[in-house]
Amino acid sequence: MAVGSAQATVLLGVAILLTALYLQSESFVGPQIRAIALQSLLLGGLLTLLAVEQGSLVLAALAALTVGIRALLLPYILARQAEAFRLPERELRAGRRVRGHALAAVLLAVVGGGLYLEVIGPALGGPDGVIPFLLLLEGLLLLASRSNALVRVIAYLEEENAVVLLGALIAAGFSILVESVVLLDLIGVVLVAGFLSRHRTAAGVPEEGFVEELTG
Amino acid sequence: MIVPGELLWLALVGLPTASALGCVVLSPRLAERIARAASLATLAVALLLLVGPARGSAGGILGWDALSDLFAVLVAALYALSTWESSLYLASVRASALSPSNYYALLGGFAAAMLATLSVSDLALMWIGLEATTVVSALLVMYDRRPASVEAAWRYTLIASGGLAVGLFALALLYRETGSLDAFALAAHPPALTAALALVVALALIGFGTKVGLFPMHAWLPDTHSEAPAPVSALLSGVLLPTALYVFLRIYDLLPSTGALGLHELVVAVGALTALVAAFLTFGQRSYKRLFAYSSMENMGIALVGIGLGGIALYGALLLLVAHAFAKSSAFSCAGTALRTTGTSRIDAVRGFGRRRPRTGVLWILSGLAVTGAPPFGSFVAEFVILTGALAQGAYAAVAALIVALAVAFAGINYPLGRMVFSRTDPPDRPADVPEGWLSTVVPGIALGVALAVGLGSIPYLTGAVRIAAGGGFP
Repeated sequence: MAVGSAQATVLLGVAILLTALYLQSESFVGPQIRAIALQSLLLGGLLTLLAVEQGSLVLAALAALTVGIRALLLPYILARQAEAFRLPERELRAGRRVRGHALAAVLLAVVGGGLYLEVIGPALGGPDGVIPFLLLLEGLLLLASRSNALVRVIAYLEEENAVVLLGALIAAGFSILVESVVLLDLIGVVLVAGFLSRHRTAAGVPEEGFVEELTG
Repeated sequence: MIVPGELLWLALVGLPTASALGCVVLSPRLAERIARAASLATLAVALLLLVGPARGSAGGILGWDALSDLFAVLVAALYALSTWESSLYLASVRASALSPSNYYALLGGFAAAMLATLSVSDLALMWIGLEATTVVSALLVMYDRRPASVEAAWRYTLIASGGLAVGLFALALLYRETGSLDAFALAAHPPALTAALALVVALALIGFGTKVGLFPMHAWLPDTHSEAPAPVSALLSGVLLPTALYVFLRIYDLLPSTGALGLHELVVAVGALTALVAAFLTFGQRSYKRLFAYSSMENMGIALVGIGLGGIALYGALLLLVAHAFAKSSAFSCAGTALRTTGTSRIDAVRGFGRRRPRTGVLWILSGLAVTGAPPFGSFVAEFVILTGALAQGAYAAVAALIVALAVAFAGINYPLGRMVFSRTDPPDRPADVPEGWLSTVVPGIALGVALAVGLGSIPYLTGAVRIAAGGGFP
């Protein structure tokens, strides 16, 4: 890979990681939808760069699909769902917790980065997978730490972005068929999650999800 | 060229898919008939695969062997039992998010997704099949629109999908290491054991283990399995968990049988811990369906111990998955009858059930014994074989953990079950019970009969298939 391309790849990777950290520090749903769209757009940019560098039509197609579905379509669906289902724009009591989330996210990035560079990276033959690995961890943290329905869907999108990034950076040739079907799966999950969100609100399930029957 | 086995597998996935598509546009009555016919046809095809000589991988997308044949029979059998039983559930639902036609469509889609997972050779396609089961079954879980079932479906979708994303991450790493995701090709020429491959297996244990309900990724399981309609709970517990375990087994199979950087020990430890935690969690439960959900988790833990140990213990693990699938189908079917009869899933609110529904009461008690490893049911034989295998390998800690888990789960499940069925107290103002159809007895009766026959060795084709799938000439 040319030096310029390598530097651009690293820059895009770091920018993707920064959007992940931003997602952890934001408690309003609207900006989070825009942030995941930006993250997917950066991912599409990185895939385009790799496609040009490698002269790969498959990667170019994947980049186009990523931008079309992950950066445009899914954020649009999420925004419509937030509007239509009148979901809370901000997580309850999230303002008080958000600093803790942001701090945990930074700590996780530092510890996870150290773990990857010292233990996992050498086993895999290099540090190339560190950004996807951290993105996966941040996605899991977001999924575990938030109670807002749409934010959890955003966390799932972030996890899937990590997988695509890993496939592009260190598993070149990871089946385009698989990547494409995963994109369809993403749409399915987002639509089902939206359907469930609507019924969740209609059924009167509190945002924290506490239901007496589901204890024990 | 299409080989006979390939045709059978295409039919196996195609029949429930066609039924699902047809049910969407049909009236509820017609959808029920089509779904029932399709489920029986699917079972017939699966049995043909089991007894037929044609086995192997056809190259390309499809791929199967004795293991996939065995799991396909399980899925097809429970799909048929659940489909036939569903009319009882649907008649009791007052408000629903979807029409009964859509319910049958989703049931067909659910079975098709599981069978598709079992019919492919590419691990990434297996992942897609598993993820499709989440999307489809979540809608079934929240069918009756109660707050608890909607919340359970929501948690299930997010946690299972989130966990499976880690599994996909593992597959990307595997592809990087081997350049292939064809499970059969990789098994034929296993890659050298490296730290990277060990990482792949560990991540797969987390990722696919979430879908299996292994500790500590099990949070979704008791909620989902207890809140789903009874026929869907039977499918979730009896065959969805084993299907996820099947995918993990395909990846785990790439490790050498000894000296795998401690991964065999890790798998055994996670299995034993899962069984122990689930067994202790059966105590103090207020819902009888939740009780059976924890029982599923316990059985998956025990099966994982057998998988981790390998050899004859793997044979025991596969036998346990077979016996558990049928026994749990019967247990959830009886639980569904209890729910329709009493209107509550609370253990302390159900008394004298045996007098109200004598046949179901007896079947429920026997199902409880069957899922907790009582002789002469198949689970008893399977657990005995796993313990024998563990002793032979000197895995004494695992043996001790399993014995404790088995004893605790036996008491934790059968004691409250006995109180519900045999207790003589009964509310004085209880309305007279409406007789239930023959299906409420026949479906759990058949399932329990198979669980018993597995224990007695009365279905040689099935136990023979387990032996072949485990890859050994065990007794």
